Amino acid sequence: MPNAIVATELSKTYDVKVRDPGIKGALGALVHPRYRQVRAVDNVSFEIERGEAVAFLGPNGAGKTTTLKMLTGLLFPSSGRAHAAGFDPWTGGNAFRQRIAFVLGNKQQLLWDLPPEETFRLNRAIYGVPNAEYVKRRAELVELLGLGNLIDKPARQLSLGERMKCELAAALLHRPEVLFLDEPTLGLDLEAQQTIRSFLGEYRTRHGATILLTSHYMADVTALTSRVLIINRGRLLYNGELSELVARIAPIKRIELVLSVPVPRSVLEAYGTVAHYAPPRATLEVPREFATAASTRLLSELDVADLSIQDPPIEEVIRIAFGEGDAASIQEVPEESSEEASALVRTDARRAPQ
Amino acid sequence: MSVEVARGRFAIFRDQYAELMRSAFLVDLQYRASIAIWLIWGITEPIISLGIWWSIAATGAVEGYTREAFARYFFGVALVNQATLSWDAWNIDRWIREGEMNYRLTRPIAPIHEAVADNIAYKGPTAAIILTAWIIAAAFWPAVRVPFEPGRWTLALIAIVLAAAIRFLNGYATGLLAFWTTRATALVELQFGISLFLSGRIAPLSLLPPQVVEVAQYLWFPYVVSFPVEILTGDVATFEQYARGFAGQLVWLAIWMSLYLIVWKRGRRHYGAVGG
Amino acid sequence: MRRVRRTLIVLRAFWQLNWLEELQYRGNFIASLLGTVFWLGMAMLTVALYFRHTEKLGGWEYWDVVVLLGIFNALAGVVESVLRPGIGHLPTDVRSGALDLVLVRPVDAQFYVSFRRLDVWRLADVVLGLALAGYAVAQTGRSISAWELLAFVVTFAVAIAVVYSIWVSLMSLAFWFVAVENMSALFDAVFEAARYPVSAYPGALRFLFVYLIPIAWTTTIPASALTGRLNPALAMWAMAIGVAALCASRLLWRIALKRYTSAGG
Repeated sequence: MPNAIVATELSKTYDVKVRDPGIKGALGALVHPRYRQVRAVDNVSFEIERGEAVAFLGPNGAGKTTTLKMLTGLLFPSSGRAHAAGFDPWTGGNAFRQRIAFVLGNKQQLLWDLPPEETFRLNRAIYGVPNAEYVKRRAELVELLGLGNLIDKPARQLSLGERMKCELAAALLHRPEVLFLDEPTLGLDLEAQQTIRSFLGEYRTRHGATILLTSHYMADVTALTSRVLIINRGRLLYNGELSELVARIAPIKRIELVLSVPVPRSVLEAYGTVAHYAPPRATLEVPREFATAASTRLLSELDVADLSIQDPPIEEVIRIAFGEGDAASIQEVPEESSEEASALVRTDARRAPQ
Repeated sequence: MSVEVARGRFAIFRDQYAELMRSAFLVDLQYRASIAIWLIWGITEPIISLGIWWSIAATGAVEGYTREAFARYFFGVALVNQATLSWDAWNIDRWIREGEMNYRLTRPIAPIHEAVADNIAYKGPTAAIILTAWIIAAAFWPAVRVPFEPGRWTLALIAIVLAAAIRFLNGYATGLLAFWTTRATALVELQFGISLFLSGRIAPLSLLPPQVVEVAQYLWFPYVVSFPVEILTGDVATFEQYARGFAGQLVWLAIWMSLYLIVWKRGRRHYGAVGG
Repeated sequence: MRRVRRTLIVLRAFWQLNWLEELQYRGNFIASLLGTVFWLGMAMLTVALYFRHTEKLGGWEYWDVVVLLGIFNALAGVVESVLRPGIGHLPTDVRSGALDLVLVRPVDAQFYVSFRRLDVWRLADVVLGLALAGYAVAQTGRSISAWELLAFVVTFAVAIAVVYSIWVSLMSLAFWFVAVENMSALFDAVFEAARYPVSAYPGALRFLFVYLIPIAWTTTIPASALTGRLNPALAMWAMAIGVAALCASRLLWRIALKRYTSAGG
């Protein structure tokens, strides 16, 4: 199969118990349990070629993580077929797991009390990486991610960004063919985010790994991938180039202005719709085809310090395209991020009595 | 499978275990203070039991157990209990609840191996500590001395290893019920309570009512503590006793191994159906 | 005085929230009750086993020992419902920095930490334990005078005070040994010795559990009050020890807290 990841009419349905509140409801549920079907993933189909990077976008609860779990063999589909790295993920066994890596942004895999170096060693053994290869790959990853002085400190002493970088390194020591990333830049500072984005790009260029990532950050998408899959309420809404989506759905351009001499809002309204007005800055929206003309007029008729033409932000695009207020939550913190806070508090009932 | 491939696979397996044990040991080293406290917690039960029986046996032997015999017995219990105790159910429960099971399921080694390596890395050194304490105590306290019989001690070691395996698989398989219920650890605690009596941790089995001992023989409990301890103390002496003991251990090892495989397969499938 | 009042107001608000939360977890109540009944059953079986081979344990007869067992269970209930969720949570709070949030509040930190969280369902253990003790007293055939009952109440309160002091002292160590997560396991280990009358232990152990770690007194003395073994002198001693324990642990707490706050946390 030339394609690295194939989802064919993937569906995942859960039976959720329905229960009325209160004691009566509780008793009723015992005697006569009622179920409601929740389609977490509904007939999703897509193909990803070897070496491609694709982003999976969607609001909370849209089905992104569930789809990813089906592609990594954690869940099996209710119907349809999943295929990744040459295997059926559910039945692929260790041969399949050898070829993939699954990194979750909010659940860490590094050994908490030991330096990341120890996790590297452990992964080397678990994935059976030959020593010579291990040394080479480790050196490359340390260099690309700038891990130099981080790998000797216990993981719990590292910042979230530093930990994430080490997580990535640990996950790539066995050169997986397919890399699944669930919110990799979640909650990281800007510098860490940028490092990881450029690293992933570089890594893909060098080794041709296929990358499927979910994210809430538009910057992840625009920096890493050209293709997006948009999912909402379990259904795949869009599968294609990002630029095409933007062009198709919202044929407008945004003109970001910085004025040397502020002018009243009404003046700007002559050139286009005023999206934001905060002198000396302003944002105008104009139809695509008139963007250049409008810019020329602005530059010649007003005192403009800076002007740039941009596509509207993706959240806007998605909200417009699919009409649901859900798109606003794309920039928000997703449901599992409370785990992030609890990862900082490592209470560990490690040796419960027995 | 050719010999080459088999040898290669074994080498990888051995490599994986070596690193898993190393990581576990290093982590344990970080937690050495906590582990010391767990050690203290672990020996108080046999010490208190010994104290009570020592008082009871003040006026004379109890069913053939003199004070000295009780002392030897409970030192044995302290050692064997430390070498066989099982905590994995709590880990499994936590991993499933907190989503830490996922990455264990997407790497090319079954999660149980990590637990086995963890157990060995923990129990090896801590059991050695108890053993050392016993040896030191024996220097000052004749009552706890056990005659030097290398053959017997070897058999005791084998019995302890088998006992540890049975108890581990029992705890792990019961812990895997966490795939279905939040009360898996309660089930383990229930077994822990029953084993106080049926494993001979609260008293040598011969001191229990005969009907209870009979019931116990049909379960695995006597084989995980009582049998190895009685080899050490010399209560297991005849060939027949050895044979029955080891046979029982092997049978229960097979049973719990099978139960583990069944529960694991079913549990994995359940997890794949409804998630964590 | 105003501080205490303010603390009480805050605590009451917390308890109300606690209660509302706990109501949602009725299932937990059944589970923990079943657990308590099970372990109580195991303990009774253990005592029965001992008495299969002896008439008396350290001079105590069967039902006397069961009285003590009931008191042990009641005391354990206090530990599980008040101490473990309260002050037992201290090491976690120190590590996570949540303690700092407590320290900026106008309340006494020790008082606050000790009582802000209750596991109300475990109070059932206290009731169960006392009920068992009462039943066992009836079985001994002795009648309890008003004085003896008073002595029991007082010595039981002293026992709670001593156990509380031990917890405060242990948890104060959490300020020095931040990495130790299972300080409370030390208590659990030693508390097991309180299941049986002090006189049941042979010499060396008796010394350990009576003089070095005065845990055995916490159950033996109140049980003595109910089984006709308590003399006024011993009762006075108990009260003195109770007060001393509270003061000593409070002192240790203050030293530990001072060190913590001056070191910058």
